[in-house]
Amino acid sequence: MSNQVIDLLKQLRQAAIKRDLKALITYHEEDSYLMRFANSAISLNTNEHLISLDFFAYDGRKKVSYSMIVNPSDVGTIEKGLDTLVEMLPHAQALNYEPTFPVYEKDVVDERSYDPALAALTNEERLAYFNTLAEGLESDDVKLSGIFSNGTTTTAQISTANEHTQYFRSTDAQVTAVLSSESLKWEVNAEQSAQKKSDLDAEGLHADLALLVRHYQQSEAVQLPVGKYTVVLGPAATAEITNIMAYYGMTGGALMQGYSFLKEEDQNKLLFSEQVSLRDDPTEVELYAQQADRFGLERKPFPLISEGRFQAFMWDQDSADEFGKTPTGHDVSHASLVMDGGEREIDSLQALVGMERDEDILYIPYIHYMNVVNPTQGMITGSSRFGALFLKKDGSVQVPYNVRLTQKFSDFFGERVQWLSEKQVAYNVSSSYGRRDPSALKVPRFICVKEIEISHSNPSY
Amino acid sequence: MKDSIRKLIDQLHAKGAHYVDARWYPHEDSNFLFMWNGNLKENNASSQSGLGVRVLYNGAWGFSASSDLSDPSAIFNKAFDNARIASERVTFPVRLAEKDAIVGSFNSPNQIDPFTIGLDEKVAFLEKMDAALNQTGVIQRFGMVEFVRKQIIFMDSEGSEIEKNIIEVFPAIQVVGVDKDGGMQRRKYQPSRTGPTRGWESIDEADFLQNAERIVSELNQILVADDAPNGKMSVILLNGIMFLQTHETIGHALELDRILGYELSFAGGSFVRLEDFGKLRYGSEKLTARANALEPNSPGSFGFDDDGVPAQDNLLIDKGILVGAITGRQMVEEANAKAKKQIFNGSSGANRATSFYRVPIERMTNINIDPGNDGSLEDIIANTKYGLVLDGDKSWSIGSNREQFHFACDIGWLVEDGQKKQVVKNPTYRGETLPFYNSLTAVGDESTWNVHYVENCGKGAPNQIMQLGHGVPVCRFDNVQVGE
Repeated sequence: MSNQVIDLLKQLRQAAIKRDLKALITYHEEDSYLMRFANSAISLNTNEHLISLDFFAYDGRKKVSYSMIVNPSDVGTIEKGLDTLVEMLPHAQALNYEPTFPVYEKDVVDERSYDPALAALTNEERLAYFNTLAEGLESDDVKLSGIFSNGTTTTAQISTANEHTQYFRSTDAQVTAVLSSESLKWEVNAEQSAQKKSDLDAEGLHADLALLVRHYQQSEAVQLPVGKYTVVLGPAATAEITNIMAYYGMTGGALMQGYSFLKEEDQNKLLFSEQVSLRDDPTEVELYAQQADRFGLERKPFPLISEGRFQAFMWDQDSADEFGKTPTGHDVSHASLVMDGGEREIDSLQALVGMERDEDILYIPYIHYMNVVNPTQGMITGSSRFGALFLKKDGSVQVPYNVRLTQKFSDFFGERVQWLSEKQVAYNVSSSYGRRDPSALKVPRFICVKEIEISHSNPSY
Repeated sequence: MKDSIRKLIDQLHAKGAHYVDARWYPHEDSNFLFMWNGNLKENNASSQSGLGVRVLYNGAWGFSASSDLSDPSAIFNKAFDNARIASERVTFPVRLAEKDAIVGSFNSPNQIDPFTIGLDEKVAFLEKMDAALNQTGVIQRFGMVEFVRKQIIFMDSEGSEIEKNIIEVFPAIQVVGVDKDGGMQRRKYQPSRTGPTRGWESIDEADFLQNAERIVSELNQILVADDAPNGKMSVILLNGIMFLQTHETIGHALELDRILGYELSFAGGSFVRLEDFGKLRYGSEKLTARANALEPNSPGSFGFDDDGVPAQDNLLIDKGILVGAITGRQMVEEANAKAKKQIFNGSSGANRATSFYRVPIERMTNINIDPGNDGSLEDIIANTKYGLVLDGDKSWSIGSNREQFHFACDIGWLVEDGQKKQVVKNPTYRGETLPFYNSLTAVGDESTWNVHYVENCGKGAPNQIMQLGHGVPVCRFDNVQVGE
């Protein structure tokens, strides 16, 4: 497989050189499968096999690019892309800085995240997985929705500087299963991220769904009064907040564009709870990490927060070139963020619900439609969804209608943090907008934070 | 290629497929230029081509797509196999609403193909905008233009064959500054789509220069402004936020696939139920909303949807009462069957896919609010006791059933006793959808109405980005919670 791709890149490199182009050529191939469920049926069963090529041509301070989704055997059409670059380059406006041209110093082949068994998963296996996770939980009123998305993603790069190539291949699966009441409109979910076939655990999802469905069918539903609550965040909520915080707050580009809630002088300051440590860790295979970035820089574990102290911004190559900074190996389509676990031995939803407690706790597994209200304040908003529980201090459980939270990153990960689970889980945040780009974070199974403000509470499901 | 597709459609039909369609994109070209603080950071051209095939077998859908057209039969066979396995878990067998077999074409109205314009001229436009925006108070300035040109051949097993040639132009400018409290602030401008065509000629340089001055001036007012007040008051939404309010809480809420639960695993559902059609008071009598795919100059106008159904203009909300939805062939059949009555008389022609490699789903066309009888913006302000005029879509977050929302805007102007007063910064408002639209107390006239395009509406799994439009007037809502 890699030989075929590398041969194509070397052929295109020669075609670029023939045209006197100083060029970077990148390859992206996805073999994607998605089985979608709605109303307890398979509402869509789809697959896409797409090959994309990107050409970037450089001439001093000028840079242009051409992208194509193409038939790889149609060399004539592909080479027309190079001809287009030749036409575009003289008309490009020169940048006021010198963009770095990638020169790969060695060949890289990184297939650590590739599992042939997951790549070969069949339609029948996807269906069987969903049948298992929903077994006995559906009814005339309770309907199954969800996705089983899996695929293989291959990326590769070559530049005209030399014949060295970088080649990466990974497999991924993202499962979301939702059970919802057609009459009452409540909805609960369970999710899974997988990098290899053996990660798949339909029974684990079944257990979480069964517990949530039982509570949503049997426990009292309540409209919580607005106000402050001790909140336990599930992995989906933690991962989404962390991801958006890193994107808006911890990249050099965001800093220079004025979006970051952090400043350069914040480095080494204690801005978060001492229980919080966060890093970008390319050694984490289950996070679909890559050994090198698009410019050939070796990727190494990169601390972002160490015991509450903010460490450093992530600089992609272009931002580093423009602002005179040193790139940090972050010219990647996704970071591989890991938040360390804590000391609390609560490793399952069942354990959380059964935990002894001396106060009421609002469990929020998932935050729907999160958006940044004020980036420089690090303020976000979103609504709870998919199985929130109100764990009363007397041990009983109520089901809260969805609530809205409008809070700062520092409210979630600052001094109000009470405890973090020792157990960490990978949470898949892949988006299938455009090209397949498997990405996931590893976060504590639960994080408990006090004094989280609920600003709105729905009067019903 | 068309002969080959027709033959393969017929073969699958003969093998037992109830319905087959194919969308062949011989080409889809785009050109994106992005200038940031004088640097042309993006200068990208792109092209794609491929084939997507949808098969209905025993009440279930299968889909397959590829950019490799060396063996189109493999794509058809894969789609058929996908449908066959999907048919093992069917609860409501898919049926398609009737439609005529159509042999036709659609060409988006344009005078000048932007792909015939040289790169020099496009860059010169951005440089001119950059120079106009490079003023005191502006620390970041952006100019961007995107051009899209695509050819789509649609064929189905019912005899339809439709060719669409569509050109789109998406220009915008934006300025960013830091306010007196260290907060990032911005203003942006994208032209309205009220003209007759949508080619290169739709970029009016004089209009852009005039609006560049306006947004820089407004930014500088925001930079020294105090925070917006908190509390309950009237909000007067200008087009730059009213379009998004409409999009999120009328448009998405009335997509029939959401109402029927087909988006629950991702985008969410809707508070609307089938029994609500014809009787739910969605808003005050001043609210009339429609899905009008016949606006001449909008990405929400496309001739025929990806079911092969002609574009239409349909009422959604008539004087406050819910009467229609955004529909495709599959969902109207299911909705009518589940409701045990005929709510919908056929597809409204709104089933669209973002590309050849995605399956069509219900998407907004141009979800418009009809102009009202409450005069100009100045008239509405003059009749407002206390509140805020709001503009700009800084952030948006909506409940999963579209039942409640929170918006942050770029700019606000205080209104006291019918007078527009000083600018305020960081305005936000939130509400519950039905009470909010029932507090609609003023709808501006034609002078306040324009079509705002949206180029990045996300929905579906696999995810799809869609382009559409919203023709909206200035609207006033009373007793709205502001400032959280």
